[in-house]
Amino acid sequence: MQNILLFSILGLASGAIIATIAIGVVLSWRGSGTINIAAGAVVMVAGYIFWCLRTGYFAPALMMVPAVLLTLVLMALLAVVVEVVAVKPLRTASPLARLVASIGVLLLFQAAVQLVFGTAPVDSPAVLSAEVVEVVGVTVPIAHFILAGVVVVLALALSMLYRFTRFGLATRAASENERSAILAGLSPDSLSLANSVIAYVVAGLVGVLAASVVGVSASTLPLLIVPALAAALLANFTSFGIACAAGLAIGIGESLLFYASTQSWFPTQDGFALPGMQQVAEFFLIVIALWWRGSSLPQRGETAGRSLPPVPRQERLVRRAAPVVLACAVALVVLPSDFRQAVTTGLVATVLCLSFVVIMGYVGQLSVVQLALAGLGAFTVSRLGTEFGIGFPLGPIIAIALATVLGVAIGAAALRVRGITLVVVTLAAAIAIEQFVFANARWGGGQTGAPVESPTLFGVNLGADASFPGLNGTLPSPLFGLLALVGTVVLYAFVANLRRGDLGRRMLAVRSNERAAAAVGVNVRAVKIVAFGIASALAGTAGVMYAYNYSTVSAGSYGIAIALTLVASVYVLGVTLVQGAVLAGFGAIGAVVPLILQKWVLPQDQISIWVQLIIGVGLLVQLKLFPDGLLVGMELKKERRAEHKAQSEPSVVSPRVEEGVPA
Amino acid sequence: MIQPVLDARGISVHYGGVTALDEVDIAVGPGQVVGLIGPNGAGKTTFIDALTGFVRHEGTVRLDGVDLKRKRPHARVQAGLGRTWQAVDLFDDLSVAENIAVAAHRPTLVSTLRELLGATLPQSAAVASSLEALDIAHLAEARPRELAEGQRKLVGIARSLAAAPKVLCLDEPAAGLDTDESAVLGQQLRRLADDGQSMLLIDHDISFVFGTCDHVVVLEFGKVIAAGLPGDVKNDPRVIAAYLGTAAASISGERS
Amino acid sequence: MTQALELRGLSAGYHGSTVVRDLDLRVGRGEVVTLLGPNGAGKTTTLCAISGVIKTHGGSVTLGGEDISSVSPTRRARRGIAHVPEDRGLFFGLTVAEHLKLGRRGEHLDAELAYKYFPALAAITNRRAGVMSGGEQQMLALGRALARQPGLLLLDELSLGLAPVIVERLLPVIRQFADETGCGVLLVEQHVQLALGIADRAYLMGHGEGSTSYDASELLNDTRLIEASYLGGDDLDLESLATDHNQKIYERETQ
Repeated sequence: MQNILLFSILGLASGAIIATIAIGVVLSWRGSGTINIAAGAVVMVAGYIFWCLRTGYFAPALMMVPAVLLTLVLMALLAVVVEVVAVKPLRTASPLARLVASIGVLLLFQAAVQLVFGTAPVDSPAVLSAEVVEVVGVTVPIAHFILAGVVVVLALALSMLYRFTRFGLATRAASENERSAILAGLSPDSLSLANSVIAYVVAGLVGVLAASVVGVSASTLPLLIVPALAAALLANFTSFGIACAAGLAIGIGESLLFYASTQSWFPTQDGFALPGMQQVAEFFLIVIALWWRGSSLPQRGETAGRSLPPVPRQERLVRRAAPVVLACAVALVVLPSDFRQAVTTGLVATVLCLSFVVIMGYVGQLSVVQLALAGLGAFTVSRLGTEFGIGFPLGPIIAIALATVLGVAIGAAALRVRGITLVVVTLAAAIAIEQFVFANARWGGGQTGAPVESPTLFGVNLGADASFPGLNGTLPSPLFGLLALVGTVVLYAFVANLRRGDLGRRMLAVRSNERAAAAVGVNVRAVKIVAFGIASALAGTAGVMYAYNYSTVSAGSYGIAIALTLVASVYVLGVTLVQGAVLAGFGAIGAVVPLILQKWVLPQDQISIWVQLIIGVGLLVQLKLFPDGLLVGMELKKERRAEHKAQSEPSVVSPRVEEGVPA
Repeated sequence: MIQPVLDARGISVHYGGVTALDEVDIAVGPGQVVGLIGPNGAGKTTFIDALTGFVRHEGTVRLDGVDLKRKRPHARVQAGLGRTWQAVDLFDDLSVAENIAVAAHRPTLVSTLRELLGATLPQSAAVASSLEALDIAHLAEARPRELAEGQRKLVGIARSLAAAPKVLCLDEPAAGLDTDESAVLGQQLRRLADDGQSMLLIDHDISFVFGTCDHVVVLEFGKVIAAGLPGDVKNDPRVIAAYLGTAAASISGERS
Repeated sequence: MTQALELRGLSAGYHGSTVVRDLDLRVGRGEVVTLLGPNGAGKTTTLCAISGVIKTHGGSVTLGGEDISSVSPTRRARRGIAHVPEDRGLFFGLTVAEHLKLGRRGEHLDAELAYKYFPALAAITNRRAGVMSGGEQQMLALGRALARQPGLLLLDELSLGLAPVIVERLLPVIRQFADETGCGVLLVEQHVQLALGIADRAYLMGHGEGSTSYDASELLNDTRLIEASYLGGDDLDLESLATDHNQKIYERETQ
């Protein structure tokens, strides 16, 4: 009993951070109608800024009070910068573009911090009292209570601010109906900025206080966004009180779950508690919250609402793709081994990115679980081979089927939500799979990685380690690369063809307008489920290819930061075009572009963090130039120009368009 | 009377505490064009939303004797109840022909699987025939954003026609059209009706409705206030009152 | 005398298609002007172009003598345009009292003014707009607009979903407000007779082409014109009636 109390109190600290991030999510939603995936990273940045100021990392160390104050000022400035760079320019862009921008901010913050300070967590000098108190016979640090108390007070203060002040009134009004707010003389831009500054300062304060209690880590703090999103969902993205209470409760619950894992009745494996139970619990909490709140989630009345990037026609694909395919085939034979490896990895990543084209591009559902499904496929192939002796081709088939089934299940769990809210479910699912499956020593690779047997058919080794060396006589085997090339081309053609076919038309109809689609007899749910199935199968296939490519599977390749980087790069390059998948694939970690950067441009180590930084920055720049994605934007320009030409000649299509041009 | 194709009885819709529709009965016979008119906010669009399953309603909707009550919108369409929207929601990323093909093709599990395995399904003849029915075959390859408002309306109607509906509900097909365009549209609808297509038509343009319909129903505040032949309804003082306010009705009443 | 509002050659529409073409229109101080015409004639579009919610394609908008054609909608609202749109522009989560407090920093809304013109609101100050009846919502929308003490009031279809009897009570309040404060009012209303009953002048808009100004009382006495425009009677020659009419106005103004 005492232990339960002890762990409850110890959970207050992480609960306080989750609550703060949840409050930040609510503030962003109310201020600008964005689901701010970067809210956790903001707390981390505050922790690091304070740590720098206090320890004198850049300049002479400051005393505590000035350091706290300066941190808050810097956070407010950061809020202004982010608002100007990543929020304001996208006010009239699609919600998807705004969400992707917040992913960009997250990637950027995390990569910048890791490059400057390294990946190991730092311990901040104490801010809060280090004293302990005794509560009903348990000795606990008083700081935990102070931290939780501060967050509760902040939540109350924000509730009051929103309830009673003119500013709060204006924000509530603008978040309910932006157009009416403008007619009332309010400026949504200023309100968004003000809310953003409040969110950053609140996060800054808690970040500073929490830094000394739980430490600051660039890898874990940003991911607390997942439980925080669960809390924000329970709060309907509206109530600070509920967000705070739910955040604290989740923190306490997780601490108790940790306590439970030390108990004898807790499911164990090889003598250790089953890992990842916490993340699985968070996933189910989010699914429950969505089913409960799903249909009543507040919608903003937007002034300009275009929902998704357009889908340009894909014509003359063979002529465009043929040179690339030829170049790959030659490269797979003649290039040195590390480049051959990179080309193969690029092909595999292309297949993975094709799954984004289907689910995000064609159906408009933002899913980030694809990489995790790929990982699932990869680990399944490994385990089937090593433990059950099931090899090629049955193993991969089972693996792909498993990934498909799981993907469809996740999609079905999220049927009540559409579009960008889906990111919440899939993010939680991805992290749950990562922690529950990949980190599991028996099912996944644990920390060491799992071996994969090479595929053989009729006694011929088709794998990367086969005895068909490249021109320079080293592995990997060009045969595997060429097989991967064939597979990629087939799937590329499949996805491109999908867009032109009957099913693709229905997908685009659903994406364009679910009501109108239903009104012409399209079964919206069925189309979404099928799309999830196709995307998951593609992801599973990519996973199998990954596994054979490296002959080993390690959990590190399927982490959420890499998944978000991939999603962001596909979107930025053009998520509605198959060519976008190819570009993103060859820019993925381990593929050609990062290899070139690593060899000649960037420092050798930490290449994945550098790529993350580049993608983060590139994304924010890119969203301003082509908010629909680079290739899509260029393709549209081309289409428009062609149309323009057609219009300057006498047109039978639309004689009225020309009249519509103002004199 | 002949058995109606569409028989809606006692349709009521409540939004919170507000009653948007109150026990409305409307029947549409084979090849008949029924007009539904009424001032703004009278509940015309709500009625079509209820028929097609987009809002929760009380009452029964029967199509050729089949009860549609428990069917979701897409299933009602598949059962033969088509509709268009006031603001035509064409699928922006699809060409006109593709827009119509979405409605024309009825996928089955087998056809979907065949397609996934690479088969190219034959183009349905309904696409071409519905384009021709509205004289817009020349627009087949155009993109929705290239179209003028009137053309969008026609494509919207063609799209619904392609699903071969037993009854087609048209929500404001003439809104945004100029006088000539709506006259042409009226003729086209008339021609469809003469070919046996049953329709339920909502529009603000009263002369368009009176010129096109066989039977007119007038709604006000969710209730039917008049119904009958266009000529009779047109001179009904209650109808004039609903449109121009009570004062006008008294003036018109005195005059007539 | 400067006008409350003056439009010259205004063109506006959506997504590249022009709904209103080359419209000239003015509203004097303290004057109530109603905009008549069938649906699709561009009345709502005109109001939205004045308040800046949609961008104009051409022409100028002058408010109290100042050209505001390139001013943002937020700033137009701050300069004294109160636009009550068709959907009433309320916030369902906010109470009556909160609506009457809502404004930018430094702006003072005269809640008392709202309660003075609409005493019924005073009894339900703590009720949220989302649970109010249609009539109450419309009163709140109007009350809020009046409380902002605007120089120009744009009213779009007050009667939408309301019984005519309620509109019959709301409209005289608008007339009274215009008379007492000198606020100019531009009114779009489908109950034509009610609108004409309180208006000084009316503009009759056709499909997308300019419009003609009439005295309200004249139109009231000559229902043929309006019926022709609304019910689309073919037996009336609108064109010649309008020309005839313009001639009369021209003669009167040049005398």
